[in-house]
This record gives sequence, structure tokens and C-alpha cells, in this order.
Amino acid sequence: MKVHPKRMRFTVLVAAAMSALALAACGSDDDNAAESTPAAAGGGGEAGGLISIITPSADNPFFKAEADAADAKAKELGYKTSVASHDDDPNKQSELIDAAISRKAKAIVLDNAGADASIGPVRKAKEAGIPVFLIDREINATGIATAQIVSNNAQGASLGAQDFVKALDGKGKYVELVGKESDTNAGVRSKGYNDVISQYPDLKKVAQQSANWDQQEAFTKMETILQRNRDIDGVIAGNDTMALGAVAALKSAGLLDKVKVVGFDGSPDAISAIKKDQMVATVLQPAALIAEMAVEQADEFVKNGKASKPEKQSIDCELVTKDNADEFGVFARL
Amino acid sequence: MSTANASAPAPSPTTPLPATAEGRRLRAMNLLFELRAFIALFVLIAVFGVLSDSYLTWDNLVTMTRHVAINAILAVGMLMVILKGGIDLSVGSTVGLAGVVAGVLLEGLRIGFLDVVVYPPVWAVVVIALAVGAGVGAINGTLVTRFNVAPFIATLGMLYMVRGAALLISDGATYPNLGGSPELGNTGFDFLGSGKIVGIPTAIWLMVLFAAAGSFLTRKAPFGRWLYAIGGNERAAELAGVPVKKVKTRVYMISGVCAAMAGLIIASELTSAAPQAGETFELNAIAAVVIGGASLMGGRGYVRGALVGAFVIGFLADGLVILGVSTFWQIVIKGAVIVLAVILDQAQQKVQRRGAAVAAAVATGPGEQPAARAAT
Repeated sequence: MKVHPKRMRFTVLVAAAMSALALAACGSDDDNAAESTPAAAGGGGEAGGLISIITPSADNPFFKAEADAADAKAKELGYKTSVASHDDDPNKQSELIDAAISRKAKAIVLDNAGADASIGPVRKAKEAGIPVFLIDREINATGIATAQIVSNNAQGASLGAQDFVKALDGKGKYVELVGKESDTNAGVRSKGYNDVISQYPDLKKVAQQSANWDQQEAFTKMETILQRNRDIDGVIAGNDTMALGAVAALKSAGLLDKVKVVGFDGSPDAISAIKKDQMVATVLQPAALIAEMAVEQADEFVKNGKASKPEKQSIDCELVTKDNADEFGVFARL
Repeated sequence: MSTANASAPAPSPTTPLPATAEGRRLRAMNLLFELRAFIALFVLIAVFGVLSDSYLTWDNLVTMTRHVAINAILAVGMLMVILKGGIDLSVGSTVGLAGVVAGVLLEGLRIGFLDVVVYPPVWAVVVIALAVGAGVGAINGTLVTRFNVAPFIATLGMLYMVRGAALLISDGATYPNLGGSPELGNTGFDFLGSGKIVGIPTAIWLMVLFAAAGSFLTRKAPFGRWLYAIGGNERAAELAGVPVKKVKTRVYMISGVCAAMAGLIIASELTSAAPQAGETFELNAIAAVVIGGASLMGGRGYVRGALVGAFVIGFLADGLVILGVSTFWQIVIKGAVIVLAVILDQAQQKVQRRGAAVAAAVATGPGEQPAARAAT
């Protein structure tokens, strides 16, 4: 086949550019998906080997903090790590667990892709002799995972709601933005909020919408809700991303001074909004701490062959307000 | 070149119908179908207006239109791609990338080897972000024209690559403060999303601008006739001298610019840019184009239709929120509207074919109808 030289050059150029792009992508993949060598060569006698860390996604700072903390801890303890994300797809999660099994991982640290859909894959790993340490989200079965370490969403929601009530002096109209309605935590948090707020008959919920954990969706829905209810006094959101979307909408409506906003997660952006008086409070989930605990317990399991803690562990959340905002870093106390 | 214009099929082949009863009936039905998106929009406004007294207020109409603007701008670009018989699945990711690019530039671009941080002025940020959108489009166009990758696959690949690029640049984090600072002289970015020109939000003006430009390009400029020609019959267009490859590449670039504009508006509204912004926006834009009566096969559709389609989707979504309808039902209803639009489109095609057959039969005299029908 004859190729016009000019076109040929162009083709080569484009191909080169694309492979450079692909290489660049692979390059930074190193810290995430690829195996990394341990920083220190083995602590205890039997430590070492691979710990597989699987979280929902790397594009959410919360999950990223979780994965980074687990990765750092595992390397510190002398393990090799493999970090991957399942994007909330149970099928992809199952494949990643298969991969961990075939690579003979010593332990799996997993933030799972669904309370029911994850039971099978976790059992598969257990049967292959690999202990699974669940973090952040539980599964609807016990005795399969070696540990299920989660932040106490109900306790956290109750903390957030109490501060919300305090900020509103126990009266007024408010809006609730709920997370993705198919997500267990969205329901637990919403219930936690309502259990507290319903004790105050002068607090009236004028609208409740799901904004799917998303900032832009929360912005749009908040603006629309404001069309009908300009006289609201507060917004309580199932996570910080939605709370910040509401803040943007309130700001453009000129209502930010009088409307109190409370979020959940303790994201760095929300904490900086609290410092700027744009939000009243958020509830910090100790994601980094939980991930580190999971790796430490995995390490003990590898060394001693048995779990050191009970399976179900619930870690309390902390309330972040203007008074203590300086004490917190990325999903952790400084 | 000039032969291309002549040989391009007219955008709307309206055959004159005879003044018989059937002709009149067909003509009336045709008109109803042509206007169906407008009718749907008025029905929506009327129904929600009755159900909630805060729906049909000037303030709410402006707010809803501002919400519509994002999808409408995407839909203008998407319509032009679809007109030429393509599709652009990468627009949602481009929305995210444009926001991230704006975020990087507004929060200070560190140039490593010079060890300086550059803070470009807002106009330069906007221009660069739009250029990045055009660049994404240029890659789409190159993949489609030079490498003969099917548009669906090429832009699907770019959907992932562009989203990945946005995540790589931002390291997965959100740029939280796009307000700029007076000392650096880069304030004013929030004007795109929250500013107003003579009482109307900037985003709405931008929508009008993009729609007008799209309308001019498709209806008045040779470029538009080429688009319809390529969408109608690419081989014939090429033989007639239409610069097919150039037109195709340009149209993806236009779509990329539209997507980047939408991304800038979103980042400006939130004064923060998240790399995940714009996920599934490509589907909203396609839905708007389809509701507006365009054919996914290419060669048929109008900017004004896509615009009305975007309004139908947006006004419906906001109306359901005002009424406090559950999110699950909102999703179901949106899907139903899209499917209904396509069913109506098929029915319209049938009426138009019937109309053409009747007109042809009258023109050639009775008895010739089967042949005429076969010819259409």
C-alpha cells in the first residue's frame, strides 16, 4: 500500500502523541494500580507479601484519602501493595478480588461495592485463604469478612443534626438534600438527621430531594427549591459535596448570610467553607484512621494467624465546627 | 465547490400537497408534528404552572432557563455532529476537563523549570479552556477522518481519555476557589455563571449566542449545507465536491468548544471545578437533540429543535423538583419523554412519506402511485 509521505508523517505524529499520552497515563498509574516496592524490607518475621487495597474510586477525595492511608501504612509495615478501584461496579470488584486471589495476596482491604453484591466475592477470598478487611461500608453478612470497620454514620448524623438544631435555635424551615438513594449510607444519615430533628416540632422540613452526592445537581436543585421556598433557614445535606452545591446556590441568591448549612464527610473543601462562615458544621468520618486500622489488623492476622479484634467495629465520627476546624486535615485529625 | 451547494438536498423536503381532504388532513398533522416539541413545552409549562404557583414566575423562568443553558449549549454542538451523521460522546468529559483547566489556571499555573507561578487573566483562561475543548474535538475529528474510526467508538474512547486527563491534571481533587484575587488581577470568573447583563444571567446570553451562531452556520452558511449533505449521503456529497474531512473535523471542534463553554459556566456557577463534572451530560445533549426532532442517522434536524428539546428536559426536571416528586420518578419520567419523542418522530416520518406519495400521485396522475411510492 502506498502512503502519501505527508499523510504518513501526520499519522506517525498522531500515533506518537497518543502513545505518549498512554505512557503518561501508565506512568502515574504507578502510584495507583501497579505494584510498588516496599519502603522498608519487612518488619516482623512473617510480614511482607502483597496487600490488595480496593476502594470505590480514586476521583473522590474521601476514597482517595482512604486508599492513600492504607497504602502508606502497608508499605510502612513492609508489605507490597496493589491499589485499585471498582467504581461501585460489583462485577469489577469481583474481578479485582479474583486478581488478588491469583496473585496470592496476604490480605485484602476492601471498601465494597454493595452490601449484598459483595458477599459472594468476599466469601470467595475467604475460601481461598485470604482474610478480607472491610472498611467504610458493611456487608449484610457476618463471619465471612475478618473485620468490618466502619465509621458510625448514625452517630455522626446525630452529631450533625444536633449542631444543625442548635444553629437554628430549634425553629424554622429547612431543606434536606439526600445522597444517592440506592446507597445504604444515604438512608442511614437521613434517618439519623430526622431522628434528632423530629424532636423539635418547630423545625419544618419544606423540601427533600436527592442530589446523588453531586455538587452541580445539588446546586441546580437548591436553586429550584429556593424558587418555592425563599424563606428557609437551614439546609442539611447527606454529604459535603452536596452541601457545597447548596452553598453556591444560596450565595448566588444572596441568602448565604441567613441560611445555615450542615454537611457530612469532613472534606477539606467543606472545612475551608466552615472557616469562611459559609457552612456551620460537617461531620468528619475518620477515613484515614479506619484504613490504617484495617492494615494494622491485617498485619497482625498475617503474623499471628488470627484476628485481634472483633469483626464488627464502629468508629465514632467527629463534629467539625468553626471552633475546631483548624484541628483537622484530610479526613483525619491532625 | 459551488456544485456542492446545488446538489445538497434541502434541509426540509416539503412537497406541496394537493388541496384534497386527505392533503389538508396530512398537512395539518405534519404541522402538529413539526411543532410537537413546542407544544410539549407549552403543555409542560401550563401543567406545572397550574400545579405550583411558584413555577410560572419571572424569577423561576429565568432560573430554569439558566439551568437549561448548559444542556442547550451542548445540544447545539451535538446537533451539528448528529446532522453530519456522527455522534459525540466525549462532551461530558470535555465539560469536566474545561473546568479543571480553568481551575489550574485560576489557582496559578506552576511552571516547573522556571519556578514561577503564572496567573493568567480571566479572558485568557476562558480562551485557553475553549481552545482545549477545540483540541479535544480536533482529536475526535482526526480519529474519525484520518483513522476511519466509527464516531461512536472514537468519541467513546475520548470520553474515557478526556475524563482520565481531567483526573490526572487535578489528581482527583476539586479546585475549590475559582474566585481569583484582586492582587493577581484574575477576579471576575464568576461572571459567566452568576453575572448578569441587562438583568438577564450571562449564561442565558451565552446560550442565545451559541444558538444564533449554530443557527447561522447550519441555515445560512455553506458549512451548514455541507453538513446536511454529508448527513444525507456522504458518498454523494464527496463526489459533489464537499470537503468532507474538513467539515467533519470542524464539526467535532465546534462540539468541543460548546462542551468547554458549558464546563466553564458550571465551574463559574460553583466557583469550583471538579474533574467529575459533566458525567452523562452527553446523554442529556443527545436526548435534547432527539426530542427536537433530529434524526440520529444524520441529515435531518434544526438548532431550534435541539434548543426546545433542551428546554423540555430542563423545565420538566425543575418542575418535578418544585413539586417535590421523588428522584426515582424523575428518572422514569425523563426516560419516558425521550422514548415518546422518538415514537412521535417515527409517526411523523410515516405521515411525511404518505404525504410525499399523495403529492407524487397527484403530480403523475392516478395509477402511478405504486411507482411513486417506491421512488420515495
